[in-house]
Amino acid sequence: MNISVRSLQSLRGLSSGRRGAMNVFDRSTKRKQKEWASSLLDSDKYDYLRDEVGSRVADRVYDVSRTFPLALDVGCGKSHMAEHLSKDIVERLFLTDISDSSLIHQVLKPDGVFIGAVVGGETLYELRCSLQLAELEREGGFAPHISPYTAVTDLGNLLGQAGFNMLTVDIDEVQVNYPGMLEVMSDLQGMGESNCAWNRKSLLHRDTILAAAAIYKEMYGNEDGSVPATFQILYMIGWKPHESQAKPVKRGSANVSFADLSKMSKLQKTNEKS
Amino acid sequence: MSSSNVWSRSRARMRLFPELLAQCSGEAAAYGKCVASTTTGKQELTKNMCVKEFEALKSCFQSAAKKGVK
Repeated sequence: MNISVRSLQSLRGLSSGRRGAMNVFDRSTKRKQKEWASSLLDSDKYDYLRDEVGSRVADRVYDVSRTFPLALDVGCGKSHMAEHLSKDIVERLFLTDISDSSLIHQVLKPDGVFIGAVVGGETLYELRCSLQLAELEREGGFAPHISPYTAVTDLGNLLGQAGFNMLTVDIDEVQVNYPGMLEVMSDLQGMGESNCAWNRKSLLHRDTILAAAAIYKEMYGNEDGSVPATFQILYMIGWKPHESQAKPVKRGSANVSFADLSKMSKLQKTNEKS
Repeated sequence: MSSSNVWSRSRARMRLFPELLAQCSGEAAAYGKCVASTTTGKQELTKNMCVKEFEALKSCFQSAAKKGVK
């Protein structure tokens, strides 16, 4: 399989304006975090989550029973999907990272498919709640330390607004157990996933960290002393419009009634007999 | 690796954190229970609501740090 790696940073300026997109994240900080993470000698230690999600996304590519002459892996990182894709499914694969995702529309042909995975609303809720409660009790108020995540309900709207049809969204939960809250945080840092939202607070008091670690263990700890961290992954599939795709039929054109569902089992039996 | 600076020193201190905390599991559990109980009760969690338990946890933690990790 031919793989080309490119930086498409320079094309960012060409993207059309995004309607109402919020500027939540400091991308230059995120780039620095990712570069620091990849410079670690033991950076493979932090790949477990991305490897797992990469293989699950590749599964979904397989499920679309078609051979793709060309595919683009956006946000590839160390490329966690290429190893799972074979030449009969994807003939040529391009990889890019921290690049503008509106490129997808420039690159995607009509009847092309976009398969994506993002972390969703419940991700790291244990960490978020522990920090929140600790800050409330120790400092009297709290600031957000975890990025805002997309809710499942929003994904449909986002894909629709981006011009995709025939959307499917499904949720997976990956739960990883750690010795304690500090290990959760250092693994997140090692993955290059430290907070980079503009509204992040740059300081976390020692007392608050101590309090949060105690709360995390008490409220969420497992019996063997470890603590869980939940990653809720939202997988989405959207198709670029094309005439061959099924469209919703006009209202009032139904020729079968929902009441007939109860007759389905009878229909199956008569089919088996004949 | 460059010479020791404030970042490498504070990272080294943070690495000791889990072991020190493990030595104070009783105090940590007491503090955690105090905070967790406010989430179910009618009272909202306010500042220093569990200060007694926290001070116990903090002094245990600091004496574990002074003793050094064995």
